[in-house]
Amino acid sequence: MMLDERGWYVLGAILVLTLCSLLTRAGYMLLGDYLPLPDGLRRALRYAPAAALTGIIVPEVLPWQMGDVPTLDVRAVAAVFAIVVYWKTRNSLLMIGGGMVAYWLIRPWWPF
Amino acid sequence: MLGLRDAIPALIATGTWGLVTGIAIVKSGIGETLATLMTLFVYAGSAQLTALPLIKEGVPLWLIFAAGFVVNIRFLIFGAALQPFFRHLSWPKRLGVGFFSTDIGFVLFMGRYGEARRRPDPRHLWYYLGIIGPGWLTWNACSIAGIYLAAAIPASWSLEFAAILALLSVVIPLVSTRPVAICILAAACVAWLGQGLPLRLGLVAAVVAGIVAGVLSERLSKEVSRK
Repeated sequence: MMLDERGWYVLGAILVLTLCSLLTRAGYMLLGDYLPLPDGLRRALRYAPAAALTGIIVPEVLPWQMGDVPTLDVRAVAAVFAIVVYWKTRNSLLMIGGGMVAYWLIRPWWPF
Repeated sequence: MLGLRDAIPALIATGTWGLVTGIAIVKSGIGETLATLMTLFVYAGSAQLTALPLIKEGVPLWLIFAAGFVVNIRFLIFGAALQPFFRHLSWPKRLGVGFFSTDIGFVLFMGRYGEARRRPDPRHLWYYLGIIGPGWLTWNACSIAGIYLAAAIPASWSLEFAAILALLSVVIPLVSTRPVAICILAAACVAWLGQGLPLRLGLVAAVVAGIVAGVLSERLSKEVSRK
């Protein structure tokens, strides 16, 4: 397979992500006897994944640009609908499906 | 076999999530071969989905590493809890058990053996393998199916939005306590305000803000309940 510059970049990304998986999943299994994790740090780290995922989602559903008036993206509306679906059904798959259907239905009518 | 039986409901979710992830990788502009490599090597749905917008934007690799690491931090905590059960194994085996660990594996294992006093116990390993082995097969089979089906799906369906919804479906169930809710609220505000910053520094700021807000509100709620 021939790789262009972009291909090498993606391959690099795959390698660093593989390293992430190895370090986080197997790191403690391998070195746990030498690496006590202080209780305070352990509790603080519990919040990291939720914060990181939120940090990825929010700019995707509520984008704004310097100089523009922020508008409400149709994705934000669909995401709120998806949350309501989850709240009512406690089912993640229905949540993803419901959010997609809401997105498809609202998008043609959305003023922005 | 006991592990497999307990894992069957979760395997359905794993498969669907794998399919969505596979489609999302290709829809974000990564070719089929690289997408397959990614699924097999990285084996971490939320880290992969997190990385997609970053890869699309072409941010530096260290930032992709940092983002993937933070999203995967939960595995560090799982690892710390599981390690006492498997510490007697040789290091290649521990590497394997660690790398193929999953959220579902952790939750089911700790539910069944979390209180077990007899260690080591060979049943522990077999139960765990019974969950994570089929989990690996299901995830990769569905993910690769998604990767090769993606070309047949029109772009107008905007299935990359399904990836965002999938991430959302990981976050929302976490909102079970007030500190987590405050953590997410703080991270959301900072992420919204900081999205114009270069190098996705807004994401880094959001993680820091979320952790600080979570820890502070945890302390506050403890003090209030003590009074």
